[in-house]
Amino acid sequence: MFDLSPGEDLELLVDTARSFAQDELAPRVRDAESAREVDAEVRAAFRQIGFAGLELPEALGGAALGPVARALVNEELAAADAGAALALDPLGPAQYALAELGGEEALKEFALPLLDADGARALLVTRSECRLHDASSDRVTGRVPWVPADRVDLLVVLAPDGAFAIREGIEVETLRGSGLRAAGASELRFDGAPVAARWTGAAPATRALARARLYVSGLLVGTLRQAAEFSRSYALERTAFGRPIAHHQALAFLLVDMYAAVDGARLLLHEAAWRAERGSGGEALAASAFVEAVEVSRFVGPNGVQVLGGHGFMQDYPVEKYMRESRALGLVLGGVDAAIEEAGRALCAEEAPVSLSFAEGP
Amino acid sequence: MEFNIDKAMRERLEETRERGRREIRPIGLEADRLGRPIPPDDPYFAMLIARGEGRSRWPGPAGRPKTAGTGGANKSSARATRSVVMHLLLAEESAYWDRGVGVANPGPGMPEPNVISMGTDEQKERFLSRFLEPDKPRWACFAMTEPGAGSDVAGIRTLARKDGDGWILNGAKCFIGNASRSDWILVWATVDPEAGRAGHRAFVVEHGTPGLGGFKIEKKMGLKAYESTSFTLEDCRVPAGNLLGGEERYQSRAGFKSAMGTFNAGRPMIAANSVGIGRAALDEALTFARDHDLLGDPRVRDRLEQSARKLRQARLLYLRAGWMVDAGKPNVLEASMSKAIAATIAADVTALGMEMLGGVGARGDHLIEKLYRDVKAMDIVEGTGQIQRVIMGRHLVQLPRD
Ligand SMILES: Cc1cc2nc3c(=O)[nH]c(=O)nc-3n(C[C@H](O)[C@H](O)[C@H](O)COP(=O)(O)OP(=O)(O)OC[C@H]3O[C@@H](n4cnc5c(N)ncnc54)[C@H](O)[C@@H]3O)c2cc1C
Repeated sequence: MFDLSPGEDLELLVDTARSFAQDELAPRVRDAESAREVDAEVRAAFRQIGFAGLELPEALGGAALGPVARALVNEELAAADAGAALALDPLGPAQYALAELGGEEALKEFALPLLDADGARALLVTRSECRLHDASSDRVTGRVPWVPADRVDLLVVLAPDGAFAIREGIEVETLRGSGLRAAGASELRFDGAPVAARWTGAAPATRALARARLYVSGLLVGTLRQAAEFSRSYALERTAFGRPIAHHQALAFLLVDMYAAVDGARLLLHEAAWRAERGSGGEALAASAFVEAVEVSRFVGPNGVQVLGGHGFMQDYPVEKYMRESRALGLVLGGVDAAIEEAGRALCAEEAPVSLSFAEGP
Repeated sequence: MEFNIDKAMRERLEETRERGRREIRPIGLEADRLGRPIPPDDPYFAMLIARGEGRSRWPGPAGRPKTAGTGGANKSSARATRSVVMHLLLAEESAYWDRGVGVANPGPGMPEPNVISMGTDEQKERFLSRFLEPDKPRWACFAMTEPGAGSDVAGIRTLARKDGDGWILNGAKCFIGNASRSDWILVWATVDPEAGRAGHRAFVVEHGTPGLGGFKIEKKMGLKAYESTSFTLEDCRVPAGNLLGGEERYQSRAGFKSAMGTFNAGRPMIAANSVGIGRAALDEALTFARDHDLLGDPRVRDRLEQSARKLRQARLLYLRAGWMVDAGKPNVLEASMSKAIAATIAADVTALGMEMLGGVGARGDHLIEKLYRDVKAMDIVEGTGQIQRVIMGRHLVQLPRD
């Protein structure tokens, strides 16, 4: 059985996320981008709704929701401002490494203190994103060229066979950043930074990466949905050669294809999230969903600008932001190539006939 | 959106897979090699009929006992539980083995939904009852396309002229699946070429009607297992009772709407067929790559990953469109989307497969090459990819009709 209908509880959650995103985030998009942070009142509102602990276990005061809820919420938040969505979430994908590898203990020690600390950020980077001299000892030296943050309270470095956490000794050097500026942009440097904890396990590390990819895919789908939607409505208003530009077939077909591409990416994401919610085995699906979202971003991001012509290039309109942000989102977690590689290897292990199927899943 | 794939469904998929391997694939390959459709008297078709296939979905005249022979009883209970989603998954599996053979199968086929939705009780009885317990393989077909009008259906020129208590048809149709072997043909004609769609009428023309002839089976690039046939209507006289639904039906635009309804229901089906063909190509590519130690090449793995991901997406798109029908939700946008996207995805997958097999694909004797030819039609039949985008454009940006 495969179920993509959110159900009443999740619909309520989506409504809440949508209202919050549209009422609180959307009107402040450019402000957040230039301030490199989200307004303090908005941060408080976010915590108050309980979004910060969305996936934490109930024992730790969380809502104990799963990847499907996360995909839905992230889509709504990112449809307003993906950068703000990252800035607002104190735990982000780092929580998956903590939960999968370190369990409730690790969440208690590393995640809980951040929940109520205003503006706190936990970050997850993959080992491949880091330039580290030595990652096996209890002190780390090296750097991470870019993270979407100006402040780092906890850094979790995820490798294929485990993870380690750093809390102190992280030097943050801010960068201009390309997209996601509402969350900040920095290079991180460590010179013998102490490792606060180290966990091992290939299977949980793989699951954590899968969850992280679903998280980012949700943000991508939201950003791209809005890019497609904004250019669609613009194309109905703007006229050229005596009719709305949307009524020139070349543009109508482009808009239709943008819309279909976002739908396709969303369906893959929901299928993968649904699988992840039912336990392990869906890691390749999550990798695939991320790849698709990134591919769609290369199509929908720039074409969102194209539909608006010269106006799209100007920062008076948000489409250039969607183009930058969707591009930046595709660069996290070691990028798309690693995901292609993992999904490809999983497929190569299968025997024909390949089922491609959720139907045979658990 | 929930798809229940229960045990019964799984068994039916498994059964189709078994038949596909044993029967559908070999007979499709043979038709391709010989370059001709499976002959109507092929024992394969007789076997299907004996097995209880090739029957009408129409339940039969009111009051007809439901148990007419053991095979019939089984079939009709299976039919009762059949959802669109299930139908689509079975169509995907069948197309995996050979899409052309599936179309060649006997039965009332494409025009059946028109007859069921538009026909009078008397017409259903007259044209569909022979498909309830067919004594032999029987076909029916749907004839809209003409040499001068395909996408632009409003432009058909086959003329219907009232003549006493009947009609006289004059014109030509082309590319019509199974036409020369059909018991009857649902011919779309116009009473007034200037009136566009409002002038359209559908006639059931029985095989052997004087004036119906000139059957010419086209030579196609692929899908050779079934015939695509051109024919002519020359002063072909059809009784008034063969005007589908009777004259009142056409006072509104309902006549044309119903034809489009057929296409609408068919789009996710073509998408499912596409996924089936694409999946066959993916399996060929994967097996070839493994047998030839190519899986170590990252470019090969990337192509495989892309193929699998896109096919999975195409499947989700058609399942969504089918699920909407089952749930009674209007699905025009989603049906068009599934068809437009799945057809090109499947074509890409077969093309990538050809690339992976290299010269072996170019030899012309490998399944991957047949799939590459077969799949192209998926972006053409039942509304081209462009026409699907026109339909989506109407929904999304109110694209005007002219
Ligand atoms: C294998 C096969 C089986 C078939 N079986 C049947 C059958 O059983 N019964 C039947 O009635 N027909 C059948 N057809 C016919 C099929 O439905 C038509 O070929 C199809 O609708 C396209 O029409 P056309 O060939 O006249 O192309 P055209 O309509 O001439 O189109 C040519 C090109 O122009 C594009 N185009 C047309 N209009 C527009 C527009 N408004 N905007 C943008 N682009 C446009 C098309 O997309 C296409 O690329 C079959 C065809 C094939 C190949």
